[in-house]
Amino acid sequence: MMKELDLLKKDWKKETNTFEQLSESEIYKMIHKHSSSLVKWILIISIVEFIVLNGISLCISDKNIEKFLALHPYLNIINYLNYIVVIGFIVVFYKKYKAISVLDSSKILIEQIITTRRVVNYYIFWNVLIGGFFGAFGAIDGFNNAYSEDHGVNPIKEYIVILFIVPLIMVFIWGFYKLLYGSLLNKLNKNYKELMKIDL
Amino acid sequence: MSESLEQLFVKQLKDNQNIIHKICRLYTTGEDAHKDLFQEVTIQLWKAFPKFRGESKFSTWAYRVALNTAITLYRKSTRSISTVDYESKSYFISQEDYNTEEEEQLKLMYKAVHQLNDIEKALIFMYLEDKDYTEISETLGISEVNARVKMNRIKGKLKKILNP
Repeated sequence: MMKELDLLKKDWKKETNTFEQLSESEIYKMIHKHSSSLVKWILIISIVEFIVLNGISLCISDKNIEKFLALHPYLNIINYLNYIVVIGFIVVFYKKYKAISVLDSSKILIEQIITTRRVVNYYIFWNVLIGGFFGAFGAIDGFNNAYSEDHGVNPIKEYIVILFIVPLIMVFIWGFYKLLYGSLLNKLNKNYKELMKIDL
Repeated sequence: MSESLEQLFVKQLKDNQNIIHKICRLYTTGEDAHKDLFQEVTIQLWKAFPKFRGESKFSTWAYRVALNTAITLYRKSTRSISTVDYESKSYFISQEDYNTEEEEQLKLMYKAVHQLNDIEKALIFMYLEDKDYTEISETLGISEVNARVKMNRIKGKLKKILNP
């Protein structure tokens, strides 16, 4: 075996001139192109997620929400808490993103990328939680209304719809994420596992 | 100021480009993927260049960034193991120095190395570049002892690929 490796090493050292050499102007062009690295994609997707999630909450915030919040004043506290948490998330995300350095060891680099990504996942989880919390209050309101005033709406039917539709949407979102990050982080996770295996 | 920094970088990279070419060849198959990875490594090197203070050689500094780019940042799929490239490409220009048997062995060896996973390739790369285990362990972020153990396992794995 060593013989073959030695042979490979000999050839490896020798063939330095077999590559097509790039000129200075070609390298100039290269450094002015955009990176297509994983970190860049994570940044882009995260920003899109922040915008979309906040866009949705802006679109929803109409008079009904105001009325709804007036009915439950204590929910305002959670609303403000939510703003603080969201700002916190953005700050943490930015710091984590900045800490990613290609000069670190491979293991640390992978860990940093994974935790950066995890911050955004937690952010989304938090949003789903808050959304679910507000949604539950909304549903209870609707339920009470339907009982107190006869709207001709069958509340049981409403609940069944919620019971089936909500998990369906959640499964869909989960699947979407699995697909999106599966392809994005596949290689990273694989290489990280490999490094961990070596250092067991 | 930034103009001269750019000039300095381009010149250094041009003189040391073979180290990046070698990593690209190890991690990609086909010319397009090679160019692609080279491009990404170049961008990462340029982004990190302000942090390069000349304490180490440019090549030593560059190979680390290049390896990290290949292992973690590079996104194009390089999964498909193609063996065609090694047969057809002019990877064996230095033929005249070898007899046919050695040449054949080399071909098989390159093919075998290409079948290793990303981390194993990194270890083999550093081994071929004569890096010591301290440097290997620092680059990958694993302990020196474990780097040694892993290297022996890779040798065993290569042996198995060559003599199934």
